[in-house]
Amino acid sequence: MPFLEFHGLTKRFPGVLALDGVGFAVERGTCHALIGENGAGKSTLGKILAGVHTADGGEIRLDGRVIAPDSPLAARELGVAMVHQELAFCPNMSVAENLCLGDLPRRAGFVQRTELRTRAKAMLATIGADIDPDVIIGTLSTGREQLVQIAAAVGTGAKVIVMDEPTSSLSAAETAELFKLVRELKARGITLIYVSHRIEELFALCDNITVLRDGKHVATERIADTTPHRVVTQMIGRELLIATPNHLAREPAAERLQVKSLCSPGQFSDINLSVRAGEIVGVAGIVGAGRSEVVQAIFGLDPEATGAITVDGKLLRPGSIESALAAGVGLVPEDRKRQGLVLGLNCRENTALATLPALSRLGWVNRAAERTLTSRYSQRLRVKAPSLESLTAGLSGGNQQKIALAKWLARSCDVLLIDEPTRGVDVGAKAEIYQLLDELACEGKALLVVSSELPELIGLCRRILVMREGRIAGEVQRADFSEATLMRLMAGVAAA
Amino acid sequence: MSSPLRHLFRFQESGLLLVILALGVLLTVFSGAVRIPSFEIAADGSRQRVFTVGADGERVPAFVEKNKFLNTQNLAQLAKDTSFIAIMAVGMSIVIIAGGIDLSVGSIYALASVIGALTFQRFGAATGTAPWLAVTLGALACVGTASLCGLANGGLIVSLRVHPFIITLGAMAILRGIAFVATKGQSIGGFPPLFRELVRKETSGGLSLVPLGVMLVVLVVGWIFLSRLAAGRRVYAVGGNELASRFSGIRVERVKLGVYLLSGLAAGVSALIALGYYGSASSGDGQGYELNVIAAAVVGGASLTGGRGTALGAVLGALIIQMISSGIVILGIDQNYSQIIIGTVVIAAVVLDNFNTWLAKRRLTKG
Repeated sequence: MPFLEFHGLTKRFPGVLALDGVGFAVERGTCHALIGENGAGKSTLGKILAGVHTADGGEIRLDGRVIAPDSPLAARELGVAMVHQELAFCPNMSVAENLCLGDLPRRAGFVQRTELRTRAKAMLATIGADIDPDVIIGTLSTGREQLVQIAAAVGTGAKVIVMDEPTSSLSAAETAELFKLVRELKARGITLIYVSHRIEELFALCDNITVLRDGKHVATERIADTTPHRVVTQMIGRELLIATPNHLAREPAAERLQVKSLCSPGQFSDINLSVRAGEIVGVAGIVGAGRSEVVQAIFGLDPEATGAITVDGKLLRPGSIESALAAGVGLVPEDRKRQGLVLGLNCRENTALATLPALSRLGWVNRAAERTLTSRYSQRLRVKAPSLESLTAGLSGGNQQKIALAKWLARSCDVLLIDEPTRGVDVGAKAEIYQLLDELACEGKALLVVSSELPELIGLCRRILVMREGRIAGEVQRADFSEATLMRLMAGVAAA
Repeated sequence: MSSPLRHLFRFQESGLLLVILALGVLLTVFSGAVRIPSFEIAADGSRQRVFTVGADGERVPAFVEKNKFLNTQNLAQLAKDTSFIAIMAVGMSIVIIAGGIDLSVGSIYALASVIGALTFQRFGAATGTAPWLAVTLGALACVGTASLCGLANGGLIVSLRVHPFIITLGAMAILRGIAFVATKGQSIGGFPPLFRELVRKETSGGLSLVPLGVMLVVLVVGWIFLSRLAAGRRVYAVGGNELASRFSGIRVERVKLGVYLLSGLAAGVSALIALGYYGSASSGDGQGYELNVIAAAVVGGASLTGGRGTALGAVLGALIIQMISSGIVILGIDQNYSQIIIGTVVIAAVVLDNFNTWLAKRRLTKG
């Protein structure tokens, strides 16, 4: 009998079906890879297992027993732990304090410092990590901090450890160290669920692999029985939601946006690109490749950025949003809830947010003009909301995204930087957004679209820039578009 | 439910009006009656006690039985006391909507009073300055000082990137200290009589027109600012989501600077009127006002997480707070309990608000 089983696991987020009846089995003491494109549902599955999310349907069996952890703590008690990408500890406390945070050794309320250190040392020793328990967590590198997370998991008796993109910010040496540790854990009978984008890594490390696509299970196979090429084909093959876009019929006009040797220390370097009027240029790359950082720098959000950004031949002041806005640049950011919208304001107010100076005279907002303008764009973008006065917090992802875009159209920006145009958006709204972006390009706007969804870029763009580790790794013309080509460039794998 | 009634309940501040109504009824029922001496306006315009001639020919002062809470004198007093807090609460609400807090309002109030009082004294009747000039200079000094204090708060918060709680906590001590040093701990009086006459104008019922009128003006200005001006819209945006506001090209620092300036200005206006009304100032004025003012804003629906609140809410919140503190006096409860009760009301209001938000969120995700 398999050690860990998923049956018909379903999870719905507002507007998206993240997991749709996923089922597969994991053997005890193996490292089981979970792979899929962004939005395929792999992280969601890991988080349900670790109690971060709760499933809407289906069941998980651990050692034959049905489990439904409703909190990370409950999962921990069942023997399931998760190693997160982001800092999961109190950064200002020591390693020892963090390791024992749930159960500090104490007598009459006083923390027993020697006991604390002994326990922490013992936990670190279980994974052979050479880390001083008195060091403050925040001063450790991501790799070392991850080791502490693993020590915490193993030390509290975890039987299953979920690792979500563990190597995304590790150096080569740290990655090698992590792989060694993973093999040791396996030898000890601990089961690992290893979520990653990096195919070669999975082939070097894992025993079995499960491929997810659009929240559905595609295949579970032994690594020995499959090939990287086969996995790539299983991951892709999504349906394209747009027929050949109309903007491709016309040759793009004059160059609108030009970026020359844009650098930002620690983020990206030597970025050169240009976008012409009536053109949609895509930017592909795995998470952490520096795509969002580049578009934010173009929009003037990165005070550290150096290099030349010109719009219609006019140089923008680096690090100045005002200068970007004055040149007609707009940014639809990747995280619309945090960066794109003020959720406590209604549709009208959000749409008009960047247009207030033009809509007001002597500081007084002209309500009639505001209503005319915002209703024009919400109709144009087919925003489905009870009214313009409805709070944006209550809208679906697709409609929120339309409002985030309408904000810039209302300001008549015609150089649009669009980061993840359809993240967390359901299928119907996706098609509408693609059509809209096509229309905008036909009107002569210049669009730079960042996306983690390759089919989207392939469907929409005239050409695609691929970023890897903060640099542009290559440019692919429409004639040469294929997911395999792009994915190889993204991952830095030589052609098969 | 009939549609106008439903409309009333959709009106954002209807909950506050209900609370005020309920408090009023409770106070009326439980306060009991009081004997108030009756007055009449004599031929020369002064207020005179009324006497009746008893059976044995003696003059007996006349009294009327009135409800201790529900009588014109008490209500007029309530309106006046509310005005000072309500003016500041409108400023505080604007700060809180922008996601900040201003603990220094009580101290700004004290320093502005003291500086205003010193100016009045400097240009008092003895110096031969024209009364209207003295009044103007004193008023400018008072309101100007308060505005500068607010601007300093905002400037430090923006430039040092320190949490507003810390900056205004420091300012709370520093400004009161300056007021104490400037007055050497003495009470300052001796203002131009013109000023006191201006502020103390009353109706025959004893209703002070100036504090109430200024409060109404501040309410209307605050309402227009928040709901009609672009600057007000930016205040809601910055408080609701600072990052998204920045991503939309809003100059977040400028907005923050502005809200603390407005809060200081409101404290200055309140101080100026109090100065005229009470006729003296000392560095101990406005002690503990920050509690009442923040309480008024929060009870009035301003959310400390930012992005929510209204000017009318702040004024109604101030009325509720004032009703509670004067209710304590009317009901004959030991006055030392008033701080305990107001503190409890603030916490209860926030808990209720959190519960409301949680309900709304649940409706959103279920729906």
